[in-house]
Amino acid sequence: MSDGPSTSPPTGPTPPGPVLPAGPAATGVPGTDAAPADPFGAPEPWPAPPGGGEGEPRQRLHPLSPVLHGAKSLVVVIAGLSWSTLSRVGFGWFAAMVAVLALGATVLSVISWYNTGYHVVGRELRVYEGLLWRRTRAIPLERLQAVEVVRPLLAQLTGLAELRLEVVGGGKTEAPLAYLGVADAALLRERLLALAGRVAQLPAPGDATAPVAPGATAPPAAAPGRPLHAVRNQTLLISQLLTPQAFLLPFGVAFVVVQFLTAESWSFVAVASTLTAMAGVLLQPIRRVLDDWNFRLARDGGTLRVHNGLLETRAQTVPLERVQTVRATWPLLWRMKGWLRLRLEVAGYSVAEADDRSRPDRLLPVGDLPTATMIVAEVLPGVRLDALPLSPPPRRTRWLHPLGRAAFGAGLFERVFATRSGRLTRQLVIVPYARIQSVRVVQGPIQRRLGLATVHADTAGGSGATAQDRDLAEAWSLAADLTERAHQARTQP
Amino acid sequence: MSTPGAPPPSGPDASTAAPAGRGPLEPWPDTVNWQPISTDLIWVELIRLAIVVAIGLAVTAVGWALSGQWLFGLAVAVVVVLGVWRAIAIGRAVRAWGYAERENDLLVRHGLLVRRLSIVPYSRMQFVDVSAGPLERAFDLATVQLHTAAAASDARVPGLRPTEASRLRDRLTALGEDRAEGL
Repeated sequence: MSDGPSTSPPTGPTPPGPVLPAGPAATGVPGTDAAPADPFGAPEPWPAPPGGGEGEPRQRLHPLSPVLHGAKSLVVVIAGLSWSTLSRVGFGWFAAMVAVLALGATVLSVISWYNTGYHVVGRELRVYEGLLWRRTRAIPLERLQAVEVVRPLLAQLTGLAELRLEVVGGGKTEAPLAYLGVADAALLRERLLALAGRVAQLPAPGDATAPVAPGATAPPAAAPGRPLHAVRNQTLLISQLLTPQAFLLPFGVAFVVVQFLTAESWSFVAVASTLTAMAGVLLQPIRRVLDDWNFRLARDGGTLRVHNGLLETRAQTVPLERVQTVRATWPLLWRMKGWLRLRLEVAGYSVAEADDRSRPDRLLPVGDLPTATMIVAEVLPGVRLDALPLSPPPRRTRWLHPLGRAAFGAGLFERVFATRSGRLTRQLVIVPYARIQSVRVVQGPIQRRLGLATVHADTAGGSGATAQDRDLAEAWSLAADLTERAHQARTQP
Repeated sequence: MSTPGAPPPSGPDASTAAPAGRGPLEPWPDTVNWQPISTDLIWVELIRLAIVVAIGLAVTAVGWALSGQWLFGLAVAVVVVLGVWRAIAIGRAVRAWGYAERENDLLVRHGLLVRRLSIVPYSRMQFVDVSAGPLERAFDLATVQLHTAAAASDARVPGLRPTEASRLRDRLTALGEDRAEGL
């Protein structure tokens, strides 16, 4: 519990003295005025190698990096000035403007290079940035999922490389170090991975989204593992006809035809643009049909296998332990059929998900309640989708949601937290306790009047579950319960 | 309304509908030991506000002088009123900030109009930022921000003394390492 200074030596140049005892009582006394160190532990003149308690001196990026950044900004500058400026001011002035701007950018890059540094402290990587707005980022190496050496074109020409650190679920690359010499980058990568130790050996989370057979025209013979469910293509077609877009299409067409007949003079452009707009609206249902064609779901040990796609057959593997949320949606027009859609959020890292459409998010494009219940039970054992008793918010919330009060609901279950919302398009979000990243309680001014609060359970990827407008006392106990259960679920899997 | 003298134990204020007499951002009073942030942040925020108001006034006043439109006069008045109102609220807003280190999680609360409380387990920490702009540095302050894998997590603590910021950072990373898990 108490922070071991051995694992994490006091911050770089900060004199080791002022590290306070860990007890909360002793901290944060506003009277510690004569704070000797600056926030970052960065003494003004950089070069001075930090004093005691320091693993190694802070290192700068490669001296050529400002030049590369400057060259990159040159492209932006030229694009920004555009051809029209060139034709207006003539070539000489244009060149002068470009030169001035590029020079300015390079000077800024040099300043930022001068103030950027990194070093390894204990089992952390610290990255220092900024002259006026200073920032120190401490990245515990345990959290490192992957370290990549990336070489964009300019860097290749100059023999440099960019080091990208991927932290779990961050969604984007955190703390790129641009640029380092290739050898340095490779060395640092090895070193970071060695320090990260066990994490490096684990399968990269990118496996979550490995498209196994893209472009295979014939559907793969059979999904390995135990088949769970296959969606009939006919059902899929009907379900996509029952979307607002497809539903309203006849009205759109009728509108265009009426325009045609009544307008005295109609231009081809107007008609063409109307049709294009309608095609754009229709794109989503059509894409869904193409993507979810021949949808098959199978279970293979601890993973789900998903096969789908008409033009581009996709086979995805979803490790069940990486599922963050399951979301069931009942669109309004599907209610007459009793259908719903299941989606899931998988945490991964950004590289594997460069193409948003290749993210595994479908669990069931369309299906009835028994099917969905069966699938949810596979993904989250012990959860019965058709029997989740959720309690609605207190009666006084009708002032906030005159019609939709009964649509809201939240409930704690053995291993999951579930919330419901939406009057027209009903939505149910299920979050396993073990996947909760943080819990937030938010209270707006009107909610304060009514003694209400909203509880959020945040997850990596997706928006997490939101229990809207709970009674304040209930919100507190809900937050406490969620924190406690999340803690238990993490520590005893 | 607020009790400037003793920020940590007192509820922020104006908890009109809070049951059981608790402040709306002060749950579990027995187990949570709230730490206030430095009141110097009030000055930082006031200067920031002054800059924004000055820019707003300059723009609207120039517009008024050039065009003579009465709407610009109204805009000047609105800027002044909003600025004064915010200036009055800043003191309470800064005192509403608070953080608490519990055994397994960090609690951060803030906000006057919309009140927010974040509970972030140490084990979910991905990395920690310590940052300070020029104004903050002039008042010897720093901001610590804890990042988790969830984009919505909101654990930012401004107005810390640099030593306290470093201590919090080191403690967070140390605890995060102790309790590290994947997703």
